[in-house]
Amino acid sequence: MGVSDWFRERLGLDDLPFFRTPDYMYNVNYWLGSLVAAAFIYTVISGLILLLYYNPEAGYSSTEFIIQKVPYGSVILYSHLYGAYAMIILAYVHMFRNYFAGAYKKPRELLWIIGVIMLVLTLGTAFLGYSLIGDALATSAVDVGEGIISSIPGLSIFIPILFGNYDAGDYGRVLAWHIIFVALIGLLFAFHFFLAEHYGMMPSKKVKDKAPAVYTKEEWQKFNPWWPRNFVYMMSLIFLTWGFILLIPNALAYLNGLPQQLNPFLNPKPAPPPNSPAAAHITTYPPWFFLFLYKIADFTSDVVIFLFIGVIIPLLYLILVPFIDRSPYLSLTKRRLFTAFGILMITYLIQTTIWGDLTPGVEIPIAQQVMVYLPPAIITLVGVFVMPAKTNNKAIANPLSILILLVTSILFGGALVTLIASPSLLTIIAFTLFTLVFILSIKNISPIALKIEKQEQTIITPEKPRNRELKKKIAEVLISILFIFAVILASQLWVIPATGYLSNLFGIDLGLIFIMLGEAISLYHYVVYRRD
Amino acid sequence: MIKFRLGKGEEREILDYSNLTFFRKLASKMRDPKTRFDVKEFVSKGEDYLFNYTNKNVGSVDEKRRKFLKSLIFGIAAAAVVGIIPGVRVLVPPTVTVTTGFPKSLLVDSSGNPIKASSLPVNSPYIIIFEYPMTGEPNFLINLGDSSGKPVEIQPTKVVVPQTGKTYDFPGGVGPNKSIVAYSAICQHLGCTPPYIHFYPPSYVNPRQLTASEPDQLTAAALLAAKEANVPALIHCDCHGSTYDPYHGGAVLTGPTVRPLPSVILEWDSSTDYLYAIGSVGVATYPNGSNGIPSQDPTDDLSSSFGSPVGDKTTVTETENPFSS
Repeated sequence: MGVSDWFRERLGLDDLPFFRTPDYMYNVNYWLGSLVAAAFIYTVISGLILLLYYNPEAGYSSTEFIIQKVPYGSVILYSHLYGAYAMIILAYVHMFRNYFAGAYKKPRELLWIIGVIMLVLTLGTAFLGYSLIGDALATSAVDVGEGIISSIPGLSIFIPILFGNYDAGDYGRVLAWHIIFVALIGLLFAFHFFLAEHYGMMPSKKVKDKAPAVYTKEEWQKFNPWWPRNFVYMMSLIFLTWGFILLIPNALAYLNGLPQQLNPFLNPKPAPPPNSPAAAHITTYPPWFFLFLYKIADFTSDVVIFLFIGVIIPLLYLILVPFIDRSPYLSLTKRRLFTAFGILMITYLIQTTIWGDLTPGVEIPIAQQVMVYLPPAIITLVGVFVMPAKTNNKAIANPLSILILLVTSILFGGALVTLIASPSLLTIIAFTLFTLVFILSIKNISPIALKIEKQEQTIITPEKPRNRELKKKIAEVLISILFIFAVILASQLWVIPATGYLSNLFGIDLGLIFIMLGEAISLYHYVVYRRD
Repeated sequence: MIKFRLGKGEEREILDYSNLTFFRKLASKMRDPKTRFDVKEFVSKGEDYLFNYTNKNVGSVDEKRRKFLKSLIFGIAAAAVVGIIPGVRVLVPPTVTVTTGFPKSLLVDSSGNPIKASSLPVNSPYIIIFEYPMTGEPNFLINLGDSSGKPVEIQPTKVVVPQTGKTYDFPGGVGPNKSIVAYSAICQHLGCTPPYIHFYPPSYVNPRQLTASEPDQLTAAALLAAKEANVPALIHCDCHGSTYDPYHGGAVLTGPTVRPLPSVILEWDSSTDYLYAIGSVGVATYPNGSNGIPSQDPTDDLSSSFGSPVGDKTTVTETENPFSS
């Protein structure tokens, strides 16, 4: 405790206006923002290391140089890429979770708007970073981006400002903007973080079911102080995130010959340079996080309409939603339209991304667009409005059941479209099957099912202290085992060659150690702090 | 730790210190009116109540266990740090090999196969480039021909440096027809690189190019100079209009440049038909005297500040055809 107290006194942590946290909030659901922040910090650190080597005047060759010649360069480069991927995915998860929780409502409107701006900046930074590789895919992505910008009158002056002499192989501008965007994200993040600490984390709907959903200062005082418990919990999440960011891409580096459809999502290696003969043989597709935009661009030849559908309307909706949805209710059944919009946004995002991956750059007639986008809209709207409201039930859905509903409704829609397009015995059977699954999943999140679940919960007797003691003992043993494995892996790290085929093992091993560290801290948190 | 001494160094442990503090803490909590221990409840609920009570008020983990767990966590963290140490090599800058002379580099294509001299197209409108002697230093590779597309033998010649009035020897072309030459692709005026500076084959040295857009425009002065020097093709920089004579060692045809293009010395192996770059002649690519007066010694370009040597192979790339028609 000595060290902890020393820090507490030096940093004045008790005096900081940091949110004191109730016990039930030690759940990842409430900490998604810290996962995004962990991915951001990792990406910044690895990016700064890459900055020591990257030469914007020779983008592709210095990328190759980093992968092949720099010690553990491929480990850093691939995990930098996947750190950005993780940041984007986690930012979406964080955003939609808070959307469904109603966290954009009073008094958190500004917090929400800053978050949306950060999402846009993150996507922009990712696009610029992707362009820095200078491979055939990056250059064609820049061409498409330039094409979109230049086809809007008046905007083409931004192309030289943003891209400089990109076509002549000078990526200095792109690198500079990449870093400037990151700096902006960092600034906004500081603001976002302190606002979040100021209002406190969004209380559960069971506790506060109406906006403004904030704990009063008196209520705060009863909760756990920020230091050291929040810190310990946060560290476990940070190391787990870092571990996966290191582990996944370096493991994927050993997968060769991925099918074309998986390439945009799973390939950490650059494609051939645009002026090489090999470039002629690859299908060009944008980075996966822009596949949805790429597909929408196939719907219409009018760039302004495309931008309205793909960018401006969703963005305006997200920024304005705190002011459109003025009701104080946080329950999903009490703001059905917004629930439906949220589900539809996720559905369309996933749907269009997959579609863009399957048919990159293939033009889609309007009839087919309607076939694809109408069923989810009808299903969602009908589903959301048929759902009966329960007065005594405050939470009607958790993220997992919404995800299941999402998947089953996509499958149901797909089966319906297939049945209409080619009716046969097989499609009828498939349609019946998927319909059943879909009905089941609707039932699953309907309040009736929840009521049963709630009753069950009350039957469960509180855990016996001796059981908890046993569990804590097991956790202690697990920490010891993790320690032993970590030491073994760490000693292995010393013999991995710095460059070449085997060097990615370094990322895998280090990722595993980070995961073990995160897991050990999480177990420690369980042993030391869990009471309930 | 409280112990009894049983004589002759024999000791018997009674109470661990951390246990003692634990008991003291528990006892004080039990006496405290705010958190008084309810004896009646203890009788009715038994030891469960006691466990719950201690868990709630004193904490289930004594200091010793906590310290042990903490040291394990710090152990894993230390393992992570120790594991990262070999990774710190990433911060060591790549060693720059100091070169005392020009490397001998085989010219290869993008897939690594050596370039055959006899298969090099004559008067190609494409910008054909290889890096030499350092990475990032482009040079043109040109197979020169006359206006009918037949290879022309390039004679050794003396090249004048207008800036200093001095001269140097250009060794002439190589290859089966002695028609292949290589010049630096960095304009000696202000350092423009391709596509702004490039080779104009004979079919493009005509008044049509006066009105063409960048980067395939020619100035009237360049056309006139080509006519006067009686050369069918030229190297021209679109930035400010400097023109060079590829048939005579990259000599200056029109300003504003005051220095010829440095040439790369090529070697042709007649048995294999391979081409090698073995050195440079002319002024240094990067002037390093006062007022931009160039060094007469091209080995000054081998300083590590300009990059690292290309090594024993250098890739020839066909970047683009700048001519729109």
